[in-house]
Amino acid sequence: MAMSVKKIKSTEIDSRTASGWLTRLLAPQASLLNLALLFALAAAGLFVWQCWLLAQLFSGWLVAWQQGGLGEAQAQLLGSLLPWLALCLILRPLLQYGREQASQLASLRARGELRRTLLQRLAALGPARAQLGADAELGSRLLEQVEALDGYISRYRVQRQLVLLVPLLLVVCTALFSPLAAVLLLLTAPLVPVFMILLGKAAASASQRQFVALARMSGRFSDLLRGSWTLRHLGALPAAEAGVETAAEHYRAGTMRVLRMAFLSGAVLELFASLAIALVALYLGLGLLGILPWAKGEIPVPYLGALFILLLAPEFYAPLRQLGADYHAKAEAEGAMTELLPLLNQQVWAHPGREPVRLSAAPRIDCHQLAIEGRLAPLDLRVQPAERVVLQGASGSGKSSLLEALLGFVPWQGELLINGRSLLDLSRPDWLRHVGYLAQQVPILHGSIADNLRLAAPTATDAELIAVLEQVALWPLIRQLPKGLETELGERGLGLSGGQLSRLALARLLLRDTPVWLLDEPTAHLDADTAELIHALLERLSQGRTLLLVSHDLQGLDWADRVVTLGQSEQRLEAADV
Amino acid sequence: MSEQPIRLRTLLRSRLGQWSLALFLGAVTLLSAIGLLATSGWFISAAALAGLATVAAYGFDYFRPAAIIRFFAIVRTAGRYAERLASHNAALALLKDLRTRLFARVAGQRRLIPAARSAIAMHRLVADIDLLDFFPLRFVAPWFWASVLTLLVLGWLALLDTSLALAALPGLLLAWLVVPMLGGRLAARLARRDAELAEQRREFLLDRLQLLTSLLLWQRWDDQQAAFLQQDDAWLQQRLRQQKLVSLTALGQQLGLALALLAVLWHGHALLQQGALSVPWLLAALLSVMGLAEALLPLAASFISLGFSQAARDRLNQLTAAETDLAGTATALPEQSLSLVLSGLSARMPGALNGPENVSIALQQGDVLLIEGPSGGGKSTLLQVLAGEPLAFSGERLINGQGFEHWDLRELIGYLPQQLDIFDMTLAQNLRLADPEATDEALWQVLDDVALADWVRGRKHGLNTTLGEFGAKVSGGQARRIALARLLLTRRPLLLLDEPFAGLDFDTRERVLASLLRRREQGIIVIVSHQQVAVPEARHLRIG
Repeated sequence: MAMSVKKIKSTEIDSRTASGWLTRLLAPQASLLNLALLFALAAAGLFVWQCWLLAQLFSGWLVAWQQGGLGEAQAQLLGSLLPWLALCLILRPLLQYGREQASQLASLRARGELRRTLLQRLAALGPARAQLGADAELGSRLLEQVEALDGYISRYRVQRQLVLLVPLLLVVCTALFSPLAAVLLLLTAPLVPVFMILLGKAAASASQRQFVALARMSGRFSDLLRGSWTLRHLGALPAAEAGVETAAEHYRAGTMRVLRMAFLSGAVLELFASLAIALVALYLGLGLLGILPWAKGEIPVPYLGALFILLLAPEFYAPLRQLGADYHAKAEAEGAMTELLPLLNQQVWAHPGREPVRLSAAPRIDCHQLAIEGRLAPLDLRVQPAERVVLQGASGSGKSSLLEALLGFVPWQGELLINGRSLLDLSRPDWLRHVGYLAQQVPILHGSIADNLRLAAPTATDAELIAVLEQVALWPLIRQLPKGLETELGERGLGLSGGQLSRLALARLLLRDTPVWLLDEPTAHLDADTAELIHALLERLSQGRTLLLVSHDLQGLDWADRVVTLGQSEQRLEAADV
Repeated sequence: MSEQPIRLRTLLRSRLGQWSLALFLGAVTLLSAIGLLATSGWFISAAALAGLATVAAYGFDYFRPAAIIRFFAIVRTAGRYAERLASHNAALALLKDLRTRLFARVAGQRRLIPAARSAIAMHRLVADIDLLDFFPLRFVAPWFWASVLTLLVLGWLALLDTSLALAALPGLLLAWLVVPMLGGRLAARLARRDAELAEQRREFLLDRLQLLTSLLLWQRWDDQQAAFLQQDDAWLQQRLRQQKLVSLTALGQQLGLALALLAVLWHGHALLQQGALSVPWLLAALLSVMGLAEALLPLAASFISLGFSQAARDRLNQLTAAETDLAGTATALPEQSLSLVLSGLSARMPGALNGPENVSIALQQGDVLLIEGPSGGGKSTLLQVLAGEPLAFSGERLINGQGFEHWDLRELIGYLPQQLDIFDMTLAQNLRLADPEATDEALWQVLDDVALADWVRGRKHGLNTTLGEFGAKVSGGQARRIALARLLLTRRPLLLLDEPFAGLDFDTRERVLASLLRRREQGIIVIVSHQQVAVPEARHLRIG
C-alpha cells in the first residue's frame, strides 16, 4: 500500500519531466513528423477543393434542371470537373497513407532509440540497477512502456496540431461565402480548447481510476491464480472462484460508473458536430427559400456557396473527434514515461579510467577513506595480495556497494588503489578482465551446461570445461547424464539444486582464472549444510587470489585470513527492515 | 464448469442481449450520421430549387425536413453515447465471464507447483484475456455495421433508381468486401507472427538482463545487447508491416469508395438528363455513399485484431489443455488406523539430475518419519510423490494396502511444500481458506501451535492483520508458520512437511515441534528438515 501511495506522489511531481523527455525523444524525428503534418494539411486542402468542385457541378446541374433540362453545357462541365474530382479522390487517401507511414516510421525510430538508451543506462548502472526494481520488472518496462508510446507518436502528436489548423482553414473558406455561417461555426470554436481540456481531464482521471481498479482486480486474479496449487490443496477453490467473480464484477460496475461520466464529454462533442451540420443546413436552406426572419425574400447565400459550406461542415469537428478518440494514447504515453523516469533520470556515472591493466599475480587492494555517498561510511582497508577477507555488517552498511565500487560501477570519494594505482585511472574493461564476481543469484541462460560455461570463456575446450567441473566436484554427476556437457538447463537452472548451481558458478569463475574474486553472499540462499560445503570448496579454489567475500554466516569460513565488519558506527536503513 | 476450449465464435453467445443492443445502437448511430448529411444536402438543394421559382418557395414544406435533420442530429449524439456504454458494458461482462471461467480452468489443473517464472506466465494470461475482447469489439462489430450500412445504402440507391445502385456496386464491393478480405488473409498471419516474435524477444531480454553484471564482466554484454536490438528491430519492422497493411487496406477501400462516387456522379448525370432523378435526390445519394466511409474504414484493422484474438485464444487453450484434476473421482477414506507403505520407489523431477532411488519403508499411525540427506538429493521430490503430485515414478505407494488412486487424497494428505503461498488478504482470511467455518478460538489455537499467537496479539489489527502481496509484510519464517497453521486447520491425518522449521530459532522450533508431536497419534507425520530435530521414537530415512 505504502508503495503505491509513493508512486502516485512521484507521478505528480514528475509529469513535466515526463513530457520533457518525450519532447527530447521526438526532436530527432521532427522532420518526419512535420512531413506527416504537411501531408495531412495538403489532404485538408484537397478536401476543400473537392467540396468546391462538387458544389460547382451540382450548382450547374441545378440551374440547368430548373431551366428545363440538362444540355451539352452540363456534359462539358461534368467532363471538365470529373478528372479533377478523381484526382482529389485519389490523392487524398494517398496523402493520408503518406501521413501514416511517416508518423509510424518516426514512432518506430523513436521507440528503438529509447530502448537503446534504456539498455545503455542499465548497462552503465550494472549491479546498481537492483535499486530500481527486479530484473523481470525492468525488462517488462523496457518492452511494454516503450511500446505504449506508439499511439502518442504515430497518431496524437500530429493530430494535436491539425485540431487547430484544419478548422481554421475551413472557417476561412466558409467566411468567403457566408460570414454568418462562419460565425455559426466560430461561435462554437472557442469551445474547442475548453473541450480539449475537459476531455483531457475526464479521460485522464477516468483512465487513472480505471487503471487503479484494473490493477486491483488483476492483482487479486494473479494472486489467487499464483496460489492455485495451495487453494486446490486446501479445498478452497470454489471460494476463490467466487472471489475472482466478485472482483471482476466490482471492476465492471466501477468502470461503468466512470465511463458514464467519461463518455459524456465525447457525447457533447458529437452533439456539436451534429449541430454544426444541422444549424448550417437549416440556415442555408431557409435562406435559399428566402424565409429567414431577418432577411425575408432575400437569398443571403446562393446555392453554390451554400452547398460548398454544407460539404465542408462535417470536417469542422472531425479532427477534434479524432483527437478525442486518440486522447487515451497521450495519457498512456505520459504514464509510460513516468514509469521510465527513474531509469532515465538516474545519474549514471561513467568510469573515467583509460590506462591498461596487466596483472600477473593477485594484487593488493587499498581503500583510504573510501566512501560512497549514502551507502558506505569512510573506510580504511588494506587487502594484501592473495589475502582472503570476509566482509560482514548489518544490511545497509555498504558491503555490496563496496564490491560495486571495486567493479567500477559507482563513484566514490577517497581513494581506491590496485597495487598502488588508482582504480579511477585504470581502464574498466581491462580491470574487469582480472575480476571474478558472483552474487546470490547464479546467472544461468537457457542452454546447455557447456553453453553456460562458455559464456564466460568462449574459447574454452571441452577438456578445460571438464577440468573445472572436476575441481568443483560436479563432473562425476554430469558424466552420468546421457547428454553430458550438452545437457540442457531449464529456466534459471531448473534441474540443478541450489548447491549444484553454486558449484557451476564456481566452475565458471575457475574457467576465467582471475587473480581477484569478489563474491557477494554466494551462499545466502543455500541451507547451512550446503553452504558449508561450498565454503569448503572456496577454501581450496580461492588460494592465491585476492578474495573479498561478503557473507552473513561464518560457518565454514574459518580459513579466511580476516573478518572485517563494516558500518559498526553508522546505523543506516535499519528502519527498512522493520 | 465447461471444459470446452475457448472458441471465438461463442464469445458473444453468453451476453447475446447486451451485444445485440450495442450492435443495434451502433448501426442506428452510423445510419443517423449518413441520414443527417443526406437529408441536409437534399434540403438545401430542394430549397434552392423552390427558391429559384419564387412562387413555390411559399408552398415549400420546410418543417418536415427540418424536423428530420434535428432528429438525426439528436439520434446521432445520443446513439453514440448509448452505443459506447452498451458495448463497454458487454465487453466488461465478457471479461468477467472469461476471467472466472479461465480461473476455474487453470486453477483446477493438476500441475506441479509452479516455477519461479510463473509470475510472468500469469501476466501473459491476464493480457491474453484482454486481447480476446478484440474479437467482438474490433472484428464482429465493424463487420456488422459495415455490412448493414452498405446494404442499406445500396437498397436506398436502388429505391431511387436500380441502375444507380448498380453503378455504385463495383466500388462499394471493393471497399466493403474485396479489399478488406484480401488484406485480411495476410493480416491474420502477421498478427500471429507478431505474438511469436514478441515472446522470443521478451525471453531473450529477460534472460540477458538477469545476467547483466556478469555479461559486463565477461565483456559479453555488447554483443548480447546488439543481438537483442536486432531482435527488437525485427519485431518493430514486423509491427510496421502490420500498420502498413492496415494503411494500405484503408487506401484501397478509399479508392473503391472514390470509384463508387465517380460512378454515381457519371451515371447520375445520365439519369438527370433522362429526368429519371432530380438534383436534390442525386446529391442525397452522393452524400450517403460518402458517409459510408465512417462505417467501412474500421474494417481495415479488423483482421489484425482477429489475428491477435486468435493468437490469444490459442495460447489460452494451450495453457488450459493440460490434464484436469483427476483426484475428484475417488471418495474413499480409510476407516481403520492409517498405514503407508513404499516399496522400491524411484522418482525424478522433470529435468532433474538426480532424485530418490529405490525407497522402501512402512509407516503406521502414530509414526513420525524424518527424512534427511544433502541438498539436491531428492528429499522434496520424494515428498511430492507421497503427496500424490503428478510426477512420474516407479515402484509402489500404498495407503492401507490400496493404491493412491483409491483414496480421496484431498481429505487425507496435508502437504506443506517448500514454496508456499500467502495471499494478499488478512491473516484470518488466509487461515480460513483451509476451513471457512473455523471459529476465532480455533484460529488462535493453531496460531499458538505454531508459536505465532503472541506476535499476532501484538499487532494492532490482530487476526485482521493484512499480510501483503506474496506475504510481503511478514518474514519468511512467519510465512512458513502461517502456512503450517493453515494446514493444521485442515486436520488431515497424513502430514507431509517440507522444511517446516526453516528460518526458526531453536526455541520456536522446539515449540512448533512439540505441538506437531501432540498430533502424532492422529495419523502419520513426515518431516523433511535440514535442522537436527529430536523426536522420540522417530523413524529415519536418508535420501541421496
